[in-house]
Amino acid sequence: MRSDLSPKRVVRRDMRRRAVVSSPVRRAARKAFSVCVQVSGVSEERSSERGQGSEDAADFLRKVGAFWERARAAGGGMEAGGWSRFEKDLYDLIRGLRNHKGTEKEYITASIAECRKEIRSNDMDLKSTALMKLTYLEMFGHDMSWASFNVLEVMSSPKYRHKRTAYLAAVQSFRRDTEVLMLAENQLKKDICSPTPTVISLPLGAIPHVVNPSMANSLLTDLLPRLTHSNAAIRKKTVVTLYRLALVYPETLRPAWPKIKERLQDDNEDPTVTAAIVNVVCELGWRRPQDFLPLAPRLFDLLVEGGNNWMSIKLIKLFATLTPLEPRLIKKLLPPLTKIIRETSAMSLLYECINGIIQGGILDAVEGTAEGEEVARLCVGKLRGMMVIEGDANLKYVALLAFEKIVRSHPHLVSQQQDVILECIDDPDISIRMRALDLVVGMVNTDNLTAIVGRLMRQLRNAPIASSADDPVHDRGRSEGITPYAESDDSDAEESLRPAEQQSNLPQALPEDYRVNVIRRILEMCSRDTYANITDFEWYIDVLVQLVRVSPATKISSSAGDEDDEYERPDDVGRGIGKELQNVAVRVKSVRSEAVDAAQSLVLVDRRDQMFPSSGNGGQGVLEYAGWLVGEYANYLTNTEGVMTSLLHPTSVQLPSRILAVYLQAVPKVFASMSGNDQISWTPERKTLMSLLMARIIHFLEPLSTHPSLEVQERAVEYLELMRLAAEAASGTATGTEHGEFTDPPLLLTQAIPALFSGAELNPVAPGAQRKVPLPDDLDLDTPINTNLHFLLAQAEQEAFEDDEDDVYAAYTQPLVSNSYSSQSLAPTIVSASERLDAPHKEPTSYQNAVEEEYLDPDIIARRKAERRERYKDDPFYIDPEGQHGSGAVTPLGSIVRAGNVGEEVDIDSIPIMDLELERHGDDREISRQRSPRRIPKRVEIIGDETLGPAEDNSSREDIVAPRSSSYRNKKSLLEVDSSGLGDLILDDDGSASSNRKLTRLEIERKEQEEAEMRKALQEVERLRLEMQRASERLQIKDEAVVVRKKKKKVRKAEMEGDVLVEGQGEGNVDGEANVEGAVKKKKKKKGKKEEGGGEAAVEGEEVGKKKKKKRRTVIMDEGA
Amino acid sequence: MINAVLVFNNAGQPRLTKFYTQLVWIKIRVCYILLTIYQETSVQQRLISEIFTLVANRPDSACNFLPLPPLLASSSKSTTPTTPYNDTPSLVTYRHYATLYFMVISTSTESPLALLDLIQVFVQALDGLFENVCELDLIFNFETLHATLGEMIVGGVVVETQLEKVIDGVKAQGRVAKRPVNEGKGGLSLAGFGRGEDGVWAGR
Repeated sequence: MRSDLSPKRVVRRDMRRRAVVSSPVRRAARKAFSVCVQVSGVSEERSSERGQGSEDAADFLRKVGAFWERARAAGGGMEAGGWSRFEKDLYDLIRGLRNHKGTEKEYITASIAECRKEIRSNDMDLKSTALMKLTYLEMFGHDMSWASFNVLEVMSSPKYRHKRTAYLAAVQSFRRDTEVLMLAENQLKKDICSPTPTVISLPLGAIPHVVNPSMANSLLTDLLPRLTHSNAAIRKKTVVTLYRLALVYPETLRPAWPKIKERLQDDNEDPTVTAAIVNVVCELGWRRPQDFLPLAPRLFDLLVEGGNNWMSIKLIKLFATLTPLEPRLIKKLLPPLTKIIRETSAMSLLYECINGIIQGGILDAVEGTAEGEEVARLCVGKLRGMMVIEGDANLKYVALLAFEKIVRSHPHLVSQQQDVILECIDDPDISIRMRALDLVVGMVNTDNLTAIVGRLMRQLRNAPIASSADDPVHDRGRSEGITPYAESDDSDAEESLRPAEQQSNLPQALPEDYRVNVIRRILEMCSRDTYANITDFEWYIDVLVQLVRVSPATKISSSAGDEDDEYERPDDVGRGIGKELQNVAVRVKSVRSEAVDAAQSLVLVDRRDQMFPSSGNGGQGVLEYAGWLVGEYANYLTNTEGVMTSLLHPTSVQLPSRILAVYLQAVPKVFASMSGNDQISWTPERKTLMSLLMARIIHFLEPLSTHPSLEVQERAVEYLELMRLAAEAASGTATGTEHGEFTDPPLLLTQAIPALFSGAELNPVAPGAQRKVPLPDDLDLDTPINTNLHFLLAQAEQEAFEDDEDDVYAAYTQPLVSNSYSSQSLAPTIVSASERLDAPHKEPTSYQNAVEEEYLDPDIIARRKAERRERYKDDPFYIDPEGQHGSGAVTPLGSIVRAGNVGEEVDIDSIPIMDLELERHGDDREISRQRSPRRIPKRVEIIGDETLGPAEDNSSREDIVAPRSSSYRNKKSLLEVDSSGLGDLILDDDGSASSNRKLTRLEIERKEQEEAEMRKALQEVERLRLEMQRASERLQIKDEAVVVRKKKKKVRKAEMEGDVLVEGQGEGNVDGEANVEGAVKKKKKKKGKKEEGGGEAAVEGEEVGKKKKKKRRTVIMDEGA
Repeated sequence: MINAVLVFNNAGQPRLTKFYTQLVWIKIRVCYILLTIYQETSVQQRLISEIFTLVANRPDSACNFLPLPPLLASSSKSTTPTTPYNDTPSLVTYRHYATLYFMVISTSTESPLALLDLIQVFVQALDGLFENVCELDLIFNFETLHATLGEMIVGGVVVETQLEKVIDGVKAQGRVAKRPVNEGKGGLSLAGFGRGEDGVWAGR
């Protein structure tokens, strides 16, 4: 209990008060309490140490600090007096934050401003306190990169406490590209060689965060001896640091690996060090497993010895990467692994054993043998145990992870556990659901597809769409970072237990990305292997339509040119659904009419409320494909007029340009199907209707001819002209008399326009087919077609407008008397235009299906029912649940049976004649359309991809269609470590041949590259130093003109030095450009060293003003050259 | 390999952020123009707030593994699933203690269950150092918090999992300050720390 006031605190407050009053006393007083009270008093430090004043070597940093101090003093003495009053330590800052509720932002800004001042002071304590405060604020997203130089200053303090603060600040704020890093190298080297272990630990912990190749190169020599340090903690940290060095600078491993290996082989080594080495080896192991095979015996011993579970886990993981390379290991590993599985009490170890057996391919290797059977049974049995164990969701999760790995190779093993896995799909925990989802995609087959999709659909349908408040976009702190806000009181931070559950209204809203994921998985499962698992395509189409309704809204991206984006946005599932619909319609002819039906219902504007989610623009992407379908298969449409009206609807203009472009293409197609019939006489009625229709289309297209999207614009302009032409043709063609003989409609309508869109049917083409088309032998691409092309073009330009268009016009407008063209295939039934206009769109009617009802919306179910009833209306064995409205259970069959039970003879007349009752279900009439009676079980013909010759397995569609995917794959993840260089490095396992081994070409190149980098880095150091010196020089020149004069002699000397240095640099540059051979390399190395030396020389002479000017000039020249 | 260790409280306030791999700002086309505006720190903050949104809505009975936050997921989807190990962070493990969430972001080379144990050791070590540790201790002594972590994880690799050695390592660096006494009203035992000991299976 800490309720009593500490005497120390009181003393401290007292001092603070005094400090404010009397400024001269301030520093001493602050010193005193800082030693006795401040944060983490390091006992071994002596308070007599003063951060400033000691003439420490290489204290160039300090001196620049002094410059700042002077600058501040020169800047405003008044200010200097003022800011001391607000000086506060970390405790005060935190406490202040808590007390400034509502005004944290202002408070933080003020605090950072104070820190800016404090950090420039000469007092190391003050500096480090300011640094600590900045580090604390950095955690909340307040940039402190400006203070990186001050971090170095504090780092150079001899006090451990300061060092620790500075190293922490460096770790938290330095990036690999922080400029001052190069200046930090010396300090790091110095601390690595320090005699105190705690001091050595600091750079060891910090280096992994900031290391870059050039730094790694220079630190390596200092780090290596630490591998044999007497303190085990230092040894293990060094091993890890070396590993991180190797990640950025693979050459590290050449000298370091033999030593690390030696540590690993040493039986007397501290076990924690061995564990750390195993950790590192495990990390390296998957990158270059072949190098670690020789270690296998030692690692195996460690595994058998056991002891440290953490290490055992890592060993098993390592072995899993080694077994594919060395099959003999499997036999050896199996007994200890099964032993661990049977005996261990640690669940994590047990799990990793199973995981290792799966990942290491051990299951495959021992498959078929009795032993293999047993292992498989053991693993799966344990995993099942983890799934069913009560109350531990973590085990469920990891078991699913393991199953997911097995399912790729042993689907039968997993499908035995189908019962428990399917339950996880409905687990309340999203993480578990996701895993289960991944898993079921792998284990789906013809039998369970409907059930699994049904479960998923039910989820989507029953859970409400997450409101925008749940969306992370609207989350606080997403855009402007988190502001630390003051808690109203401390109770929150003190509270022992706060119930975390917030909302319990079931079913919980599904997050959008999960929704998207589920939809994608459903599509993936169903479309796998060109619909191998689907038996009922009508069901699939209904699922697709239902998916549109539950798809989440796509986020509207902020950038302007986004609509023309060819990238598919990941959350736009509507397009995925559309693609499937299109695919089914093209590939499966038997359900094409159903698919077009679905597309039609999606396109119809007046049904949009039903078909799409009520809020947001969810599923809108499907319109792109639905639009294409209604156009391409316009002759399947049942409600052509309605579709046309929807396409031309004013709201269509607001659709994304991509969809609009497809709509534009669909309009003339639908128009062609409406107007293209040449069997109907060109009556005045038809003429009027056609003219009206064309006028509507023209009216729709006109504004679009200036649409910002080029695609839309182009299509609009093209079809606009076509329609104008057609309209003219229609109006120019005389109509026949009302009931007189047949008059031919204009040819433009019946021939020309339909011909644009009919022709060969579209078939799916295999990805690689295009490439396989053989080149015709007589194809000659080199001979010019016309040698006189230039002249022709020039001529054409002149004559362009002299063509007689009237001929063309006449040809299309004059109806031919002969009736020889009969394109019956286009319109099998003759329907008058007026009838077509009246044709109502088909409305759904109904039947019972308990399962589907759960995940399909009522209207879809109703339609399915109607279809089924239609299909079975002649089937006496089909019991229509709603057939006898009002008369309950009396069905045709039922009444027969009942009659039979009574013992009477079956009276034919008593069998009720089924009333179709088409009018009952609204006044919509079933459009007479031939539906193929359902074949059960039906073998649906799915058109495969067309190709030439044998199909290539390796050419996936993505590779050809979207070549960008390869570059996409290379994209780095946010937190990813780049270790690509590591894999190329050749490690010598015996460690002896390294010196006389020939360098491969690749290595030479890399070395050169590295050295070029080094050179660049060193130049950068030089440039930075010069810049800093320049800054100080400007002030010094004012203040210390006298000093400069005095030191003239020295200046001249330094000048010469600088010249030599610059020359060296110049040469280096020339070398870098010209040199490819390895011979020059050594020379270059020397140069590098020389430069370094030069750099140090420059540091020595740095107070001197004049020299720098000259140097700067030359450096700039250098850069220009 | 461990990519990051984060600690934040029930309100999403960060208490510790440690990134073992540098954040690479992915040049998403849309944000390209904003590239100059986004500082790395703000990417970190975004990541934290994304993770917090994910974690905050989870009931206590849920498992301790999170789906990848959007910031990480968008880039890692592209990786081929055939390679079992790679460098992308793929695992977000967390534990909830009283008012604090402890998160570990790691690649697939780490064992998920072992990471849970690691977090437990971390918290136990803090408890050993502060005696009835609570959030306030960590706020006021965030340097010690970092030091403790530094004893356990160096550069993303676990170097120590034994409780006593971790505590000894931190103590060797100097006296661990207690939180300012007048701030606190009382500590809380580890048992009060969320699900505490009984939620742990016999790992490690």
